[in-house]
Amino acid sequence: MDAGKEIVRFEEVGLAYEDAPETLSNVTMTLGEGEFRFLTGPSGAGKTSLLKMIYLAHKPTRGNFFLFGENAAEAPREALPALRRRIGVVFQEFRLLDHLTAFENVALPMKVAGVNQNQYREDVSELLNWVGLGHRMGAKPATLSGGEKQRVALARALVSKPDLILADEPTGNVDPAMGERIMKLFVELNKLGAAVIVATHDLHLVQSLGKPVLRIADGKVSRSAGAGGAA
Amino acid sequence: MKMHETDQDAQADHEARDPAPRQRFFRNRGAPLLPEAGAAGAPLTAVIAVMSFLAVLAMASLLMVNRAASEWTSALRSEITVQIKGADEAEIAAGVSAALRVLEDTEGVIEATQRGREETAALLEPWLGEGNAQAFLNIPAIIEVKAAPELRSNLDLLRNRLAAAAPGATLDDHARWHNRLSSAARSGQAMAFGVFLLVMGAACAISIFAARAGLAANHEIVSVLHLVGATDDFIATEVQRRFFILGLRGALIGLAAALLALGLVGVAMRTGVAADSFLPAFSLGGFMILWLAAAPVATCLVTALTARLTVLKTLSRQY
Ligand SMILES: Nc1ncnc2c1ncn2[C@@H]1O[C@H](COP(=O)(O)OP(=O)(O)O)[C@@H](O)[C@H]1O
Ligand SMILES: [Mg+2]
Repeated sequence: MDAGKEIVRFEEVGLAYEDAPETLSNVTMTLGEGEFRFLTGPSGAGKTSLLKMIYLAHKPTRGNFFLFGENAAEAPREALPALRRRIGVVFQEFRLLDHLTAFENVALPMKVAGVNQNQYREDVSELLNWVGLGHRMGAKPATLSGGEKQRVALARALVSKPDLILADEPTGNVDPAMGERIMKLFVELNKLGAAVIVATHDLHLVQSLGKPVLRIADGKVSRSAGAGGAA
Repeated sequence: MKMHETDQDAQADHEARDPAPRQRFFRNRGAPLLPEAGAAGAPLTAVIAVMSFLAVLAMASLLMVNRAASEWTSALRSEITVQIKGADEAEIAAGVSAALRVLEDTEGVIEATQRGREETAALLEPWLGEGNAQAFLNIPAIIEVKAAPELRSNLDLLRNRLAAAAPGATLDDHARWHNRLSSAARSGQAMAFGVFLLVMGAACAISIFAARAGLAANHEIVSVLHLVGATDDFIATEVQRRFFILGLRGALIGLAAALLALGLVGVAMRTGVAADSFLPAFSLGGFMILWLAAAPVATCLVTALTARLTVLKTLSRQY
């Protein structure tokens, strides 16, 4: 799949937390439009850190970083919300808002973007139905199981139909059947045009889907062959 | 991109289990994005209530001083006094009639009345003792003149004519009193206004503290809002709305308490020791209520706007 436009581009990027040595160093990679990548590596390797830079939660400490063709490392603060709205993130620790219901959590990106509720109500309920939480739409996160929270987080990441989907261990808390469904969903969304990066340690799933894999080890990102190349 | 097309069966399945999801959404429509606990609801409301109570009292003193000043000065402004001295009663009487003639054909004199000599003597009684005034003194005659503003502003001609007609006549326009009263009134106004500004300043400071504390307490929420694409303005508006509601609640409580306090003061002034005091009777006219209500509204707006600016400033330092 030869993507015309670049969604993500890292050039010699380094990331250090405060005064600690660099967690990631010399990251150079690109993700084109409509591309799919798995991101693997041992725990603590920096998968989450790499995704954090992409969803603009952490600034690279050095190097160039382009997002949707814009120099994101140097973009003014006012430019960030528009970039973030094009990204859907499934956070590793979900990051649902405890005082909001499942429905409100999923609706959050729309509400924040100023969309009228009439325009997203259907989408939100359909998404929640799809992840099997149609009957828990009014539930607060505290009353949901880990797997249910994960599915709410998934629905929230997808509700705005983002151009780039980032999922950090999205199958970590669901049963294998749901895990497989979620992965297939990402593949479907990718076919519909979204670029996708899925960080996971579930090598079985990675192999079964046959998508390209980025491996992080010792602070470096390297491309290792996926089981079957591009789909 | 329609993601729900990916699994029609599952979707239909779940819809069957959830017959009326929509009603549930409407109930949750207005949930605030930043929860109550963050901006310390009750304490903030209480502090704003106190601030608005003080603001209303400051405003009330301002209005009272204004009213008192205008009553004193307008009474003094239309009045001038002609005093006629003389060696004996006959000389004084001659001076009085000469002065009255002059006053009668002076344009701008609305009314000129001679005060009874007994009346004048009575005024001196407290100092000289009962019945002594007339025995000891050649009490001057006093003519009270109600003057039109044109005349009031240029008394030199009248003064000269009076001096020519009645050598013992002096004209007092109460200018010294007038000036003293109005400068006293001005400093009273300045003080009340100063107190009002101080209270507004304190409301600002409290709002800054509370908004910062609220942001810190809601750090995770603010961070998630940013990551799903919220602008600083969106978050500031949420905080502002919350502070406005708290501020309004506090301001109304403060206003009610202040009106109660002022009502009690009013009753005390009408019935108690201060009944015949120097200050005008205090009452809450319709117009005055509006001014008093402006104080809590100002407190509330100051609180909300300060919170907004604080949030914008604090967030602008983040990534
Ligand atoms: N906010 C942070 N402050 C300091 N160190 C961090 C922070 N987040 C992650 N790290 C460190 O960065 C390294 C990579 O973490 P992470 O990106 O979460 O790895 P992974 O997602 O691959 O498990 C770890 O050593 C972790 O301790
Ligand atoms: Mg991680």
